[in-house]
Amino acid sequence: MSNDPKPASRSAQKVLSEEFFLSRSKILDLAATLDRLDRAEGSVDELQQRQLLIQGIEILLDKNPDKAKRVQLLMSRPYDPDWRKNYGLH
Amino acid sequence: MDYIDPHIHMVSRTTDDYETLARMGCVAMSEPAFWAGFDRGSVESFRDYFRQLTQFEPKRAAQFGIQHYTWLCINAKEAENVSLSREVIAMIPEFLNESNVLGIGEIGLNKNTKNESTIFLEHVDLAVRYNQQILIHTPHLEDKFQGTKMIVDMLVHDTRVDRSRVLVDHVEEHTIQEVLDQGFWAGMTLYPVTKCTPARAADMIERFGPERLMANSAGDWGPSKPTAIPDLIMELKRRGHSRELIRRVVYENPCKFFSQSKNFKAPLGSS
Ligand SMILES: [Zn+2]
Repeated sequence: MSNDPKPASRSAQKVLSEEFFLSRSKILDLAATLDRLDRAEGSVDELQQRQLLIQGIEILLDKNPDKAKRVQLLMSRPYDPDWRKNYGLH
Repeated sequence: MDYIDPHIHMVSRTTDDYETLARMGCVAMSEPAFWAGFDRGSVESFRDYFRQLTQFEPKRAAQFGIQHYTWLCINAKEAENVSLSREVIAMIPEFLNESNVLGIGEIGLNKNTKNESTIFLEHVDLAVRYNQQILIHTPHLEDKFQGTKMIVDMLVHDTRVDRSRVLVDHVEEHTIQEVLDQGFWAGMTLYPVTKCTPARAADMIERFGPERLMANSAGDWGPSKPTAIPDLIMELKRRGHSRELIRRVVYENPCKFFSQSKNFKAPLGSS
């Protein structure tokens, strides 16, 4: 295990400069999608999918780590440890 | 760079794709049995499919110097039909001695139902009885977290299962840790849009290290890219990772995992 090849590390500044334009374009895509939603007829404010998008964006803005994992969990059905019993499986 | 794609559905790809993959460095691949896009009507339909996987595809791959291996099962989507599933499971041993079979797969869950779980357990039992390795499909999107935990729960519960001979595929940020912590191998499936991108796969390699981790393209009939592993190699190179690390993930790890099957021969000789 100790002789595993180690991943290289990049400085925060390098990551930022290398990823900036791609991130910028993704933010624009999301902004334009929300604009499109606003222009469309009818309201979706009450729908769960709309709320999930808002909650996902809130995760991006908070100060905590593991954002990708937390967005994934937000979009996931919960796990019930008693599932076997509920299904009558042994 | 020479690489192995451990999970690619070549029945849905053209012969030109085989040629492209060979040009890009693919030296071996493994193709788990999966859903055909429609539910098959009878066990005979699966028998023909298994002939395609064990006899036809290896020849098509060999034309381009690629080794083709396969895994057999009835997939989770069709497992909803329990009686058909049992007929298929009873027929699979007919093919287990074919020279390119690595084990049972891709078994797993789709919508995490009771029928899917029942058939999953029966496949695991088949694998154990015939001393076969297992390749696992975990569900997509909102079902992945729940389904992966159910699968891990079932595998851990069966004390006969050797975890080092089980590959759990389609792991993402919220499932990878548990799969690795429990001693299984993990596969990241690179999909252009809906699943894991090469950049996110590179992130997981950086966070978890290369041990028991591999990447695949799925390359099925949906929107997918059979050359996704070369994309990951490019991303890792761009980030400054060593050749040694990259090769470990895209070549040595699949070799090490597959070598636990008697039918596997390392494509570049033993290292
Ligand atoms: Zn698959």
